[in-house]
Amino acid sequence: MLNSQQRDALRELGNIGAAHAATTLSTMLMTNIEMEVPEISVVDISKIHEHVGDELSALVIFQITGEVSGGGYVLLHIPKNSVIRLTNAMLGMTELERDLTEMDESALLEIGNIMVSAFLDATATLLSIIMLPSPPSMIIDMPHAAFQTILAMQEFSEIDQVVIFRTELRSDQHKISSNLFLLPNKPMLDEILSMLENLMK
Amino acid sequence: MPGPEEPPVIVGIGEFYAGRNTMSSIGLGSCIGLVLFDCDKPLGALAHIMLPDSQGRGERPAKYADTAVRFLVKELNLLGCRSSSLAAKLCGGASMFQAFSGNLNIGERNVEAVRFQLKQLNIPIIAEDVGGTVGRTIVYNPAENGKVSIKTADGTRKII
Repeated sequence: MLNSQQRDALRELGNIGAAHAATTLSTMLMTNIEMEVPEISVVDISKIHEHVGDELSALVIFQITGEVSGGGYVLLHIPKNSVIRLTNAMLGMTELERDLTEMDESALLEIGNIMVSAFLDATATLLSIIMLPSPPSMIIDMPHAAFQTILAMQEFSEIDQVVIFRTELRSDQHKISSNLFLLPNKPMLDEILSMLENLMK
Repeated sequence: MPGPEEPPVIVGIGEFYAGRNTMSSIGLGSCIGLVLFDCDKPLGALAHIMLPDSQGRGERPAKYADTAVRFLVKELNLLGCRSSSLAAKLCGGASMFQAFSGNLNIGERNVEAVRFQLKQLNIPIIAEDVGGTVGRTIVYNPAENGKVSIKTADGTRKII
């Protein structure tokens, strides 16, 4: 589904987007953010569970809109314990043994909005188009259940393989880990690939 | 016979398993985990159904409600189960988020489609845990008479 040149191009695109998202997170937390090299995986739908599991997490989900065909989603995934540390770090709190509250949810929506806008802005600028995030939808549940529901939507339902782009962003100081996922459907992926190809000519 | 420590067979999206081993589907959202079990023998099957209608597509029969039910029955018949001793349990079909277009109650439509197919084949539904807005991980061990254990993200467990 992807040759190695296309993988490299996508990884580079994702790298730039994720670096911008990391910078915004770093500013908000006033700390260094460690960023892993983005992974590009072509995954059969039956193997999604090898990439995302069922541990309680927060997911902030955006649909990609703008000057790009097809459909796609950006997901910010943060495991429960990291969510608590993240809110605590932002609001100067220390209590770790607590349930997630509305406070965590609004902190997450805020962070998600800023990070995902930065991610899409940077990738779109490189491609010289406009990409905008939809208003976010948030769930606190199993990541696999969220992915699966996205894959059952019309834009994805006819395909058995998806390209998943994932970057891990971490704050070692606060012990926070998060993942940014980009999930383009086939028409969006094809369009992004052809734009990247034109760029490299 | 597998021991109790044996890890379960993981049935991913659109997959199925039929046999004697413990089987599990992780993180069901709008998908359905359909368990068909034999009331007389320690044998059963699990399908991880994603969509209501195959629209004639033949590959991956366990992915679609209209093909999955018949297919599971056939697999269980091959293992020596009589159709008349089969019973069903249903889990999943949740509505995880409402905000996006293109997601017209897919969970609900999956539940309806599976119920319809079971009715066509006269397979009774013994229990179900469907709908709502939560993801579910399910585990089914054929040695335990059709018992299905369900875990939600907040750690709640129940058995149907």
